[in-house]
Amino acid sequence: MSKINMQLKELTENVGKSYSVLQVDYPTPNQAALDFQPGDVHAVLAYLKGQGFRQMSLLSCVDWIEDGQFQLVYLLFNWEAGLRLQVRTRIDRANPVFTTVTGIYPGAKYYERDVHEFFGVEFNGNPDSSKPLFLENWDDMPPMRKDFDPQAYSDRKYKAREYKTDFNTKAGEGQ
Amino acid sequence: MATADKEKKLKEGWEGISRFFRANSLWMLMYCTGCCAIELPQAMTSRYDMERLGMGPMATPRQADVLLVTGYLSVKTLRRVIYAYEQMSTPKYIVAFGPCTINGGIYHDAATVIKSLDQYLPIDVYIAGCMPKPEAVMNGFQDLIDMIKDKTADGWKRYRDNYDWYKQNQIESLGELRIKDEYHE
Amino acid sequence: MVINQLPLQILTGLAILAFAFFWQTSLSGITRKIVARYHKRYGPKWYQEFRDIFKLMSKTGVTHGWVYDFGVMMALGGIMATVMFMPLMKFTAFPGFDNFFIYVYLFAVGMLGMAMSAVGSGNPLAGIGVMRALTQMVGYEVPFMIVVLAIINGHGTSSLSQLAAIQQQAGVLSWNLVKMPIGTVAAFICLLGMLGKKPFETFIAPAEIASGPMVEYGGKQLGMLMILHQFSIFIEVSLFMNLFLGGAANPLGFALKYMAVYVLASLISQAMGRFKIDQVIKFFYKIPIALAILQAVMVVYLGWGV
Repeated sequence: MSKINMQLKELTENVGKSYSVLQVDYPTPNQAALDFQPGDVHAVLAYLKGQGFRQMSLLSCVDWIEDGQFQLVYLLFNWEAGLRLQVRTRIDRANPVFTTVTGIYPGAKYYERDVHEFFGVEFNGNPDSSKPLFLENWDDMPPMRKDFDPQAYSDRKYKAREYKTDFNTKAGEGQ
Repeated sequence: MATADKEKKLKEGWEGISRFFRANSLWMLMYCTGCCAIELPQAMTSRYDMERLGMGPMATPRQADVLLVTGYLSVKTLRRVIYAYEQMSTPKYIVAFGPCTINGGIYHDAATVIKSLDQYLPIDVYIAGCMPKPEAVMNGFQDLIDMIKDKTADGWKRYRDNYDWYKQNQIESLGELRIKDEYHE
Repeated sequence: MVINQLPLQILTGLAILAFAFFWQTSLSGITRKIVARYHKRYGPKWYQEFRDIFKLMSKTGVTHGWVYDFGVMMALGGIMATVMFMPLMKFTAFPGFDNFFIYVYLFAVGMLGMAMSAVGSGNPLAGIGVMRALTQMVGYEVPFMIVVLAIINGHGTSSLSQLAAIQQQAGVLSWNLVKMPIGTVAAFICLLGMLGKKPFETFIAPAEIASGPMVEYGGKQLGMLMILHQFSIFIEVSLFMNLFLGGAANPLGFALKYMAVYVLASLISQAMGRFKIDQVIKFFYKIPIALAILQAVMVVYLGWGV
């Protein structure tokens, strides 16, 4: 493991003093991944924005279907120091509701729509979050959930080409 | 009777002359949302030089004769392709690149990608290969030129004659044809 | 040769029109071939432009309202009328009516028709294109006019055929190209702007505003527009020839000079990038206008090159 950025290490330690960090991980020397309880996320994001993480690059989501949980991942970026931070939290998969972060990062509006559309997570406080963004004419469950079957949807929705079979292989042929 | 015969002959003669000009001056509208589009620069520049066949790129559907669909189409892009195709002035042709337009290719199980383009629009020439090499692309265009000369490139006539069937398929997969999102309200 | 009867005059005008169309359209194809060789390509046939135009005429046309249709007709009519007034070698269809200002005014009818038709199509990109074309016109007209007024002042006439005749008196040495080289350079830069060749291609810009004024044209209307384009190139290049290269005394001289000017402009175009519209105006109001004023001062106050 190459040397971890000292500033980043210091920062994660400071965060750990005020909030309960469940787990700390360093995927790359200038990137840290911190796990929090869902209730802490907004306070942590507001604190980190004050520490120079002005940009929220992405809000992503992971479907942990065996644990029955969705994991929300907020990717933050600090332009002055060149540091990246993942703020992660897990919410219940059966009742996927979370509170919006548009009050802290206004740009999160579209990422929340994206996550709502592809995973079905509701964001309280973002009135646009249930508007469609990418999908058109969609009538099934959110497509990025692990229990969604794209082949069945595709077969149901789009006409396939019909092929005429004009040559049948005998047993053992064409293997 | 004689005059009708003469008129028919005249019309055929005019059609023949028009076909000669159409075959040798194909202006393309490139719908480059798929990966096959990467093969077009080679076909256009000094190595294969498409311009010697009289082909050239055009900026808008109204000016173009050939619509190049380079690869897979999602529901969202198919809607726009249909718009573009219906804006083109007849006679118009479609060249479809790669297996994605034939049967879905590697996207056969994708939830938002259509499988067979000829259900929605009439195709004149398919170019096979994932992606087709520039030689195959040039060969496909040469085929299109030959087809225009011997009157078999009649996709726009098929679209006109079977308009209801095509419309029905389009509506089945797309809901409605109108572009409807927050940017078009 | 001066022709006085009206039917003969009209026939001469039509002959000039036919010559202009065939020569310029062939030359466009030849230029495409030369440019292709410049790119190390094989290039199209020399008659490719004819095939393009006839193909467009055989397609169906879509209309976007009567302003759109009428504008195309008006533009084509205006430009064709301008071509008929052009003195060609020693043929003049309407003797005495080849004053320089006639071309300036008649040419504006064509451009106006084109602008009207393009805006009538209702596409916002066409509106942007027309706006840019007119802005660019403001840019190149001023230096070009300064040079031409200097020539008119120096030679004491504004008739194109007389200007050409004056320049033919002593062979190459009496051309304005030799007598007023600075003004010729300024006018050639303005000619690039008029032709829409590449540093000044801003109003077409296919990758940016989807070919600007032509965005909604297709089929027959686009075919008419291409004919119009060929005629307007003919007028612009012929004007430049008559003003600076001594016109033409015989067909061969005309063909060679015309070809030299047009091919040079096209080759320069191939080696250039595209200016933005504000850069176009800034450029025209810096370099060509400075050269033009310098030349005008030399001709009008110092009497050099007359």
